[in-house]
Amino acid sequence: MSTLTKMPQQGLISTLRGDRAKRLGPWALGLVALLAALGLQGQLYSGQERTVATIFMFVALAQAWNLIGGFAGYASFGQVVFFGVGGYFTAVAMSHWHFSFWMSLLLSGFVAALFAVIIGIPLLRLKGHYFAIATLGVAEGMREVVTNLTDLTGGGAGITVPTVGNNATTAYLGNDGFYLLFLGLAVLSVIVGGLVARNKFGYALRAINQDEDAAAALGINTTRMKVLTFALSGFITGLVGASYAFQQVTIFPERLFDVDITVLMIIMVVIGGSGTVLGPLLGAVALQFLSEFLRQNFTNLHTFILGAIIIVAVVLLPQGAVNYMREARRTKEFSLLANVRKYRL
Amino acid sequence: MSGFLQATVYGLLQGGLLALVAVGFSLVWGVMNVVNLAHGGFVILGAYVGWEMHEWFGLDPFLGMFVSAAVLFVFGYVLQRFLINLVINGPIFITLLLTFGLDLMIVQGMNLVFSADYRSIKTSYASNSLAFGSVRVPLGRLLAFALAVAITVLLVAVVNRTRTGLSILATGMDRGAARLMGIRARHVYALTFGIAAGLAGMAGAMIGTVGTFNPSAAASFTLMSFVVAVLGGLGNMYGALVGGLVIGLVQAWGGQYLPGTWVNALAFLVLIVVLIFRPTGLVGRAFYAARQEV
Amino acid sequence: MRSRTLAVAVVITASSLVVAGCGSKGEAKSANAAGSGTLAIGASLSLTGSLAREGVLTQEGYQLCQEKVNAKGGVDIGGTKVKLDIQYQDDTSKPDVAAQLVDQFNDKGIKLILSSYGSANTEAQAAVIERNGQLMVDSAGADNKIFSKGYKRTFAVLSPATEYAASIVKAIAELATPKPKSIAFLSADDGFSKTVTEGGMKAAKAAGFTVLDPQYFPNGTSDVSSALTKVKGQHPDVIIGSVHLVEGVAIIKQAKELGVTPAGFGESVAPPTPDFAKTLGAQAENVLGSSQWTDATKGTDKYFGTAKDYAKDIQAKYNHAPDYHNAEASAACLALVLAAEKAGSSKADAVRAALSGLDTESFFGTIKFDSTGQNLYKPMSVIQIQNGKALTVWPTESAEAKMIWPGTK
Repeated sequence: MSTLTKMPQQGLISTLRGDRAKRLGPWALGLVALLAALGLQGQLYSGQERTVATIFMFVALAQAWNLIGGFAGYASFGQVVFFGVGGYFTAVAMSHWHFSFWMSLLLSGFVAALFAVIIGIPLLRLKGHYFAIATLGVAEGMREVVTNLTDLTGGGAGITVPTVGNNATTAYLGNDGFYLLFLGLAVLSVIVGGLVARNKFGYALRAINQDEDAAAALGINTTRMKVLTFALSGFITGLVGASYAFQQVTIFPERLFDVDITVLMIIMVVIGGSGTVLGPLLGAVALQFLSEFLRQNFTNLHTFILGAIIIVAVVLLPQGAVNYMREARRTKEFSLLANVRKYRL
Repeated sequence: MSGFLQATVYGLLQGGLLALVAVGFSLVWGVMNVVNLAHGGFVILGAYVGWEMHEWFGLDPFLGMFVSAAVLFVFGYVLQRFLINLVINGPIFITLLLTFGLDLMIVQGMNLVFSADYRSIKTSYASNSLAFGSVRVPLGRLLAFALAVAITVLLVAVVNRTRTGLSILATGMDRGAARLMGIRARHVYALTFGIAAGLAGMAGAMIGTVGTFNPSAAASFTLMSFVVAVLGGLGNMYGALVGGLVIGLVQAWGGQYLPGTWVNALAFLVLIVVLIFRPTGLVGRAFYAARQEV
Repeated sequence: MRSRTLAVAVVITASSLVVAGCGSKGEAKSANAAGSGTLAIGASLSLTGSLAREGVLTQEGYQLCQEKVNAKGGVDIGGTKVKLDIQYQDDTSKPDVAAQLVDQFNDKGIKLILSSYGSANTEAQAAVIERNGQLMVDSAGADNKIFSKGYKRTFAVLSPATEYAASIVKAIAELATPKPKSIAFLSADDGFSKTVTEGGMKAAKAAGFTVLDPQYFPNGTSDVSSALTKVKGQHPDVIIGSVHLVEGVAIIKQAKELGVTPAGFGESVAPPTPDFAKTLGAQAENVLGSSQWTDATKGTDKYFGTAKDYAKDIQAKYNHAPDYHNAEASAACLALVLAAEKAGSSKADAVRAALSGLDTESFFGTIKFDSTGQNLYKPMSVIQIQNGKALTVWPTESAEAKMIWPGTK
């Protein structure tokens, strides 16, 4: 976890060196957004808080996926495994070992990161779709492992985090508390993404993304970089999983290792713009908000409409919203049709 | 011992069916580098076409599957020609996203049109079985297996021996060069996707005969196709067949000798081990694995 | 430049968040304010995803209840008749969404909830119900685990999971001649099915059967061949599946393919659903199944009449034979309505008190809850598929037909 402690310093140094206003602007705006989110909390009903907390959860998940999938270009199709490992570690630690939630939360992050290192070393040698499917295999396999370790995990019947009575190690946070917790995780993930994007670490990852052999020739220790990134990504995802487990109280293997969650992370990143910090943030907020809106208003048709909207968005903005905006500003070419022309066969 | 033999036979039959499910998925991925998340949706759609044919015209599913194939071929061709071709030059994962959107629409569309009732295409013979000593060979699955193998062989012949097939291969290897040679890439891509969808539809009709289906079964077939295609390896038309048979056997044997549902973990363990030690899949070609994809 | 993009983004983010939360914090408005003329009830249903089939059946049950009650003028609360207004939301078959929906209903001031389908969804909902001081009547979450947590605000009209296979065992022990000796349980690996298996094995041991090791397979699979191959060599006299529809159909289909021929099959959940006989045709003949409800159930109530009347209504409205999932849903809704009438109030606490004291006959049989909120007073029926129809064969006092044994030729 040395990256975590080292990075803020590097980030600060490069921040001070560059054009101050341009460098600090996004951080300031981020702060405004954070204040807005905090102010918003007072305006929401309890249940709405939970809905918005889910949006924050996906912001953190999308940012985490973006580290390995967007920056490094390794499309982890089994990212949900860290979510599941983190969630189950917390549930088991709290119910069997009587750890407090905060202790379990932190440990869950490290356990997930460790897990990422263990699977990352052999799997990150694979490229492209092969890496994708191998990680998918790990996630599906872990679900079965958790399902079969009945004594520890409760198997398919699920495991319940104690939240009432004497067994409760940490009082349930309530919708207020989880709003703040997931907001905190979202902020953490955006900061990590922002720091990675702007320092040497991030440039090394982009180099790996574009041409791994060339990056190695430049003296980048590609294996170490990739494994570290995977661990960092796993760490954040594990934290989110742990928080989710506590929020849900009872968790089940099918949901904690649900491939749909991975797919959502990927979609949010790609629609927003992969390899950027803003992209996953926008993508997660937009998609989660949209799907929730559709679900509430079109009870029978919502997935159908969502599918259609995704298709239209993909056809019009294949490079993601943020990357499109950047290209369009540079070339003064805002026409979406021209954009389609660029990518069609 | 008879348990082992029975598991082996059943695993092989199951594997053949899986191979047919996955062969189109593997073809599309190999030629166009598109991972089609709507593949399972095509399979189930094929099952519904087969079911309708049987219900309304009394058509035997092993004939009805050709109707499924034809319907799905047209559907696939149109989809690729007018939709997926629009983004084929975009970043790779964009096609993944597009097909995910398609999958949502197809699955929910089937839910609305056919309802979520569980169905099965009933025949008088598919559940009967031939007995060899204590080992039973179910007729429906045997037929499906034979067809799966035959269709794979036929596909290989078409791809390797016909002009169309060669143009598919050529486009898959180097689209630019292929276009310079006068190959219409748009049409070839659409054709490839159509063939893949048609094969999925065929597999669907068979699955509808030997098993039960409803729209939500689509996801598991996409997942299985993924596993089978990678296990076998891309770039070799027999890859899906090999991958399917291996998965079928692993699951049958694992189910026989492992307690609980550990067998499911085993299938994925085999997948991961194969990928680590032989990343091109069991019979795939190195070119496809080395290709810069993401 | 980059920062300006960000500025736009921040505005969009913030405004979308504000839109997501339109309204101000504080006491949520009450949906059942006096004089509004309606009694609002929230129902989260699995309308998409893996439980969509059962979700639709549940919705049909709720909907029929609403129509029946409103046809009589509505719910009589303290002398005023108010219309029943059930609001449906799709939980996409996911427990976290089902739980979130309960919170969202609470925001709208809807305190009375009808449950989603399945034990996982219901369990997730029950925890939220308890925290929010809402009240839920559970139509389809049968796992006993839900009721072992000390929840005071969840009431289930259905018999618990432990009874599903146990009732089949009891029926066989009582009615099958020659009496079979050994029973093998094949079970899906979800919590509900495992509880069904445990209950069944306990009953089987108590009845003096030899019980073989249970075989598990993944929930929702259509391939149970491994489990069948394993038990084939042990030649059990009876195979009981703790399953849902897909696995239940697979057991019968693949047992035929593999030549597994016990004297009889019994299964939870699957056989009474109309899809079972429709999908399997002749192979479904003589399979035993346990059912929460059959149209031979004794009892009557003022909204639905008898079980036979109920069956007719479902057939007329939805054009299929009634399924016990329909009946559970209608019964849950009925219990809530009767309790509200008894309480003369739509307040959650008053209705809760009325529910815990409820003791009534209905088309669903007795509705009466024990201290944990389970309806232990309603027996389960055992049905057998005979000539394509699910006929009640046990308990004998409400039997429509004699059990055919052995069930396989």
